[in-house]
Amino acid sequence: MLGLSAYAIWLLCTLAEASVVVCSLVRGSFRKYLALNLYMIGSVVVSVLRYWVFASYGYASDQYAFCYYYSDVLLTICLYFALTNLYAHVFEEMAAEKNIRFSAILLLVGTAAFSLAIVLQSSHRFTTRFFVEVSQNLNFVGLVLTYILWGAVFKLRETRTQLIQLVLALGLYFSLFAASFALRNLYPPASDLLKNMDPIIGCVLPLTWAYAFWRVPSDARLRPAGLAVVPR
Amino acid sequence: MSRKLAALMAMIVLVGAMGLKTVVAAHSNTTLTASNGGAPPPPRDWK
Repeated sequence: MLGLSAYAIWLLCTLAEASVVVCSLVRGSFRKYLALNLYMIGSVVVSVLRYWVFASYGYASDQYAFCYYYSDVLLTICLYFALTNLYAHVFEEMAAEKNIRFSAILLLVGTAAFSLAIVLQSSHRFTTRFFVEVSQNLNFVGLVLTYILWGAVFKLRETRTQLIQLVLALGLYFSLFAASFALRNLYPPASDLLKNMDPIIGCVLPLTWAYAFWRVPSDARLRPAGLAVVPR
Repeated sequence: MSRKLAALMAMIVLVGAMGLKTVVAAHSNTTLTASNGGAPPPPRDWK
């Protein structure tokens, strides 16, 4: 049985996901950040689908667990491609789009192969465990990629405010995911409590991206840092 | 950036990410974590 707060967070998150798409459409950024918006549209569809399964079969049913974890894999893959879309924006002046796409696919295949190797060692529910493992590993790959992108943004002195905010929000989201995962492994007794934090972590990304699309104009630029004063 | 360098970067990222996960889950690797969307996670782990 779910509490009122769980329903409220679920609804808030779904509305935030829809508002990302609406805000980017209104501000004219929909096509520019197409992969991000497709991920958000997918998230809204998955939320509705999960609610339908939840209402039809119940919270503790196998159907809900199946729907929850399988849809999570699909969303994680979509988020991974949204991240590569951000890479393409940051490195657009270097015309590295083909190489970024090649690396992204190679990394995805590598992650799947690594997950397969783990699952082959120890599982009786092969398919299920494989997809869950891919999802978790992709989240860690996303975390590392986002930190590298942060470094690139600082190194290349990126000034596009909206792009910077989207990248920072993604870094925050992946960091929270990794922290939750680590704490649950380090302190198993607190696992149930931390598990209930997952939906709150899930709200971080749509809320911060909606803010970035709504409050920051697409052509806004950060003021370059002042010149360094070098003593003679 | 050559294609070989791109492949090398991808492999470095993969090794780094899996290393990080191994460090984080050193004590156990049974946790199922999913954080896409605001739906409540199923009451029991699905393994």
